[in-house]
Amino acid sequence: MRARFYVNPILCTGCRTCELACSFTHSIGGKPGRSRIYPLPGGAPDLWVPVTCLQCDDPACAKSCLVNAITRNAETGAMDLDQEKCVRCMACIAACPFGCSLFDSFHNLVIKCDLCVGDPACAHFCPTKALRYEPVAVPVKRSA
Amino acid sequence: MVSLTINGKLVQAKEDEMLLAVIQRMGIDVPATCHHKAVEPFGACRLCTVEITRPEWDGWTKHVTSCLYPVEEGLVVSTHTPQVIELRKTILDLQLARSPKARYIQDLAAQYGIMRTSFEEVPDGNDCILCALCTRVCDEMGFRAISTVNRGHGKEVAPPLHEAPPDCVGCLACAQICPTNFIKYTDNGDIRTIWDKTFEMLKCEQTGQPTITRAFAEYLTKHRGIPENYFKLGDLKHRHETAATMGRVALWERQEKV
Repeated sequence: MRARFYVNPILCTGCRTCELACSFTHSIGGKPGRSRIYPLPGGAPDLWVPVTCLQCDDPACAKSCLVNAITRNAETGAMDLDQEKCVRCMACIAACPFGCSLFDSFHNLVIKCDLCVGDPACAHFCPTKALRYEPVAVPVKRSA
Repeated sequence: MVSLTINGKLVQAKEDEMLLAVIQRMGIDVPATCHHKAVEPFGACRLCTVEITRPEWDGWTKHVTSCLYPVEEGLVVSTHTPQVIELRKTILDLQLARSPKARYIQDLAAQYGIMRTSFEEVPDGNDCILCALCTRVCDEMGFRAISTVNRGHGKEVAPPLHEAPPDCVGCLACAQICPTNFIKYTDNGDIRTIWDKTFEMLKCEQTGQPTITRAFAEYLTKHRGIPENYFKLGDLKHRHETAATMGRVALWERQEKV
C-alpha cells in the first residue's frame, strides 16, 4: 500500500461535495443517492463524519462473499468488488458492520468504495481537506 | 505468457486462461449465454464456438467452444467465419423455437438476423434456456439446493423431487443470475418465497429495513464466521452508528490535544 485515505471529521463541514464528486465519478448524472460516501451527523452540533468503506484488515464483506467477488487490490489496498463476478446475493450488504457496502437499485448493482483505483475524487474535491489521500512514507507496522 | 492470433491480431495471454476470456478482453462480441465469471465454464450453449487452426495443419480447421478451450502458443483463432456464424444461427434458431418469448434470446437472435424461428415452436416451451447458470452458482456458493433433472426433452431445472429444497437459504443468486428472468420469486419485505419455500426476512431492529433471510444469515454465521450481531441492523443504521462512533472519537481526540 503506497498511500492511505484519511478522514478527519473535525474539519468536515457537511457540504456534501464528496457525495457529488463520488456520484459524478462513478455514475452518469451524478445522483447523490448513488454515492459511495455519505457525510452523516456525528452526534454533536456541527460535527459531520464522512462515512465510507474503511477497507478493513479482516473484512466481513469478503468473508461473506460466497463467490469470492470481493478481493484486496494489492496496488491500492482497497477491497475491490468484481461486478462481473457478483451474483447480488446481498450478503456483503447485510454483513458489513459499518454499512458501507451499498445497493444501487437503479442499476441493480452492489457498489462499494474502490478508492477510485488509487486516485479518490472525493479527496480532490474536499474544500476543507477533511478527506485526504496521501502517500505513506514509511511502511506502517501494525502492533498486535 | 503465450502469444496467439485472434482475428489476425497477435495477442498475449496467461497460460491458464480460456480462449473466451482473451476474446472478450479484446472487445470482440462473441455471444456466450451460459458464461459467467463467478462459475466454472460449462459449454452448455455452444454459442461461443470459434474456429481454430495452426500453421502446420495445412489449412485444416476445427470448431471448439472457446469458453472451455485453454490458450495455446501459436494458435490462430477466427471468431466470425461464415461457418461459425451459420452454426450460431442454427443454435439461436433452435433456442428461439424453445423460448420464443424470452427477450434475451430474441435480442441475440436479432443480432444474427433471425426474427422468427424456422422450426416449429415447442408447444410447452418456456423461458428457461437450460444454461444451468442457476444450478452452477448454487453449487459454487456451496448450497447445492437445485439441479437439472431428467434428460433430453424433459430436462429442466428443479429442486430435488420437485419439493421445497431443504438446502436453499433464499439468497436469490439463482434468480439474479438467470439471463431470461425465468426463476420467479416473491418478496414483500417480511416473507420471501422461492422454489415453493418461504423464508423469514431479517429486519433492521431500528428502521425495520429488510436485509437478508434468517436462514442465509445463520449460514454465514456458521460457515463464514460472521458474528451474529452484525445482522441486527440494516446498512443505513450501521452507517449512522459508524458516524456516531467516529464523531465521538474525533471529539475525544480534539479534547486531548487542547
